[in-house]
Amino acid sequence: MIVEFLEILLFALLVLMIAYLVRHCLFSITALNFLMKRKKDEIQNMQDTKYEPTVTILIPARDEQHVVDRILQRMTELTYPKNKTQIIIINDASVDETGKIADNYFKNHSNIQVIHRSKKAGGTGKASALNYALRYARNEILLCFDADYYPQTDIVEKLVQPFADPKVGAVQGRVIVLNEPQSLVTRLVALERIGGYRVDQQARNSLGLITQFGGTVGGFRRALLDRLGGWDESILAEDTDLTFRVYLAGYRVHYVLDAECYEEAVENWRAYWKQRYRWAKGHMQCCFKHWYKFLTSKNLNLKQKIDGLLLLNIYYMPVFSLFLWIIGALLFLINLPQWLSLLWGPVQFSLLSFTGNFAPFFEVGIGAYLDQRKRACWLIPLLIFTFLYNILICTKAFFDLAISKICRKTYHNWDKTIHSGNGNCYIL
Amino acid sequence: MLPEETFGTFVSLLFAVSALILIMFLPALLELKKPKDAGPKSISENASNSAEMFFLQSIEREEKHILDSEILKRIGEIIGFLPNLES
Repeated sequence: MIVEFLEILLFALLVLMIAYLVRHCLFSITALNFLMKRKKDEIQNMQDTKYEPTVTILIPARDEQHVVDRILQRMTELTYPKNKTQIIIINDASVDETGKIADNYFKNHSNIQVIHRSKKAGGTGKASALNYALRYARNEILLCFDADYYPQTDIVEKLVQPFADPKVGAVQGRVIVLNEPQSLVTRLVALERIGGYRVDQQARNSLGLITQFGGTVGGFRRALLDRLGGWDESILAEDTDLTFRVYLAGYRVHYVLDAECYEEAVENWRAYWKQRYRWAKGHMQCCFKHWYKFLTSKNLNLKQKIDGLLLLNIYYMPVFSLFLWIIGALLFLINLPQWLSLLWGPVQFSLLSFTGNFAPFFEVGIGAYLDQRKRACWLIPLLIFTFLYNILICTKAFFDLAISKICRKTYHNWDKTIHSGNGNCYIL
Repeated sequence: MLPEETFGTFVSLLFAVSALILIMFLPALLELKKPKDAGPKSISENASNSAEMFFLQSIEREEKHILDSEILKRIGEIIGFLPNLES
């Protein structure tokens, strides 16, 4: 009885793994095809189209004294008309000089506004800070940037263009790691970003699937955000939650490959753990919250439902990989089914499909090739370490979330990523 | 005590796996030791689009060379220098 159960479970997990493998292969082919078919005049059209709504840029910042000056300086260099741009920096209960640095910019620039949150009211997470800022935002498009980011000067023009289409509810730009040469961790994170943004996001956009808002370098229609009730403060991955709510409301997220922004990646394994743990747990929360609504929504077609469900479950896959190994080992010891020995090849390749933390190694390779960085591909075998590390992270997140569900705990601690400002020296 | 054949097989397998791991990670170790990668993609407001357009054209013509903004500047310098040769 137990053996039969394990066999069924193993088979189900294998089918799921192969589904992800097919998905990632499809994305890789699409990303290459996108480049081949993208015509010169399409790029030119994007540059010529003029849609200039009023924009509010939100920058939540908590203890970001090493990096906030950089982004605020960049905000003053944006080419978007200043009379149509409102910049709000939310000093979220900082204990360092973040508030003072922001105040200096407020004094010298009329379109920069600073909101100070007290220790009592603030410091409870990014979603809370953004919701607080909404009452001060007065324009039709809201864009969000994290404090450690450094965008192109014309990024606003590029991000607002898609909103000319009334079906677009949100946009997402491309993230590039600024401090890539700094350490092994930053180099591996850079590879993940290349695969994720250059290939994965672009393919999902091209195929009309679920493009993700990543929490930064992107934005929303103000009216839609008000209708959705703002950010959900109980979810650690508030960006993923909002992505799914946008699609459920009948809108879509548009990915703008050319809207590029540098980020300061985590520099060591401890910081990597904290950040990915928060992403994994938050994403799993979104899965619990949205899977049924997504499955039954009348605003989505079949391919969007399939891709949405695969996306919602993606942080469970490292946990399932671990279960797959354990169950496979148990069955091998107890009783190896014949079909298992036939499927072992595809199983291994499917597991390899996950190497690269949700942007598989072949997506990373294609992304690096498209970015003309073939030498960066030499580091791809090292992604196996982040894959194994992510198995531990996601497994812990899974069990922590399961325990909090059983105990009906609704508050989840927001563990902020600390930015050192070491990326400043890499700005060209 | 293991039979000699089994021991020999085990040692050969261990050696083969170690060699495979080394071959797999050798390029990564070389790149970490002596990095030759160009580094993060530079954010240039207009040049990135120009570089991509030339990249598209080269694929369409099945050319091997991929032009980027640095090479464009170099070509410009050469073209600017050529009239001076006549004088």
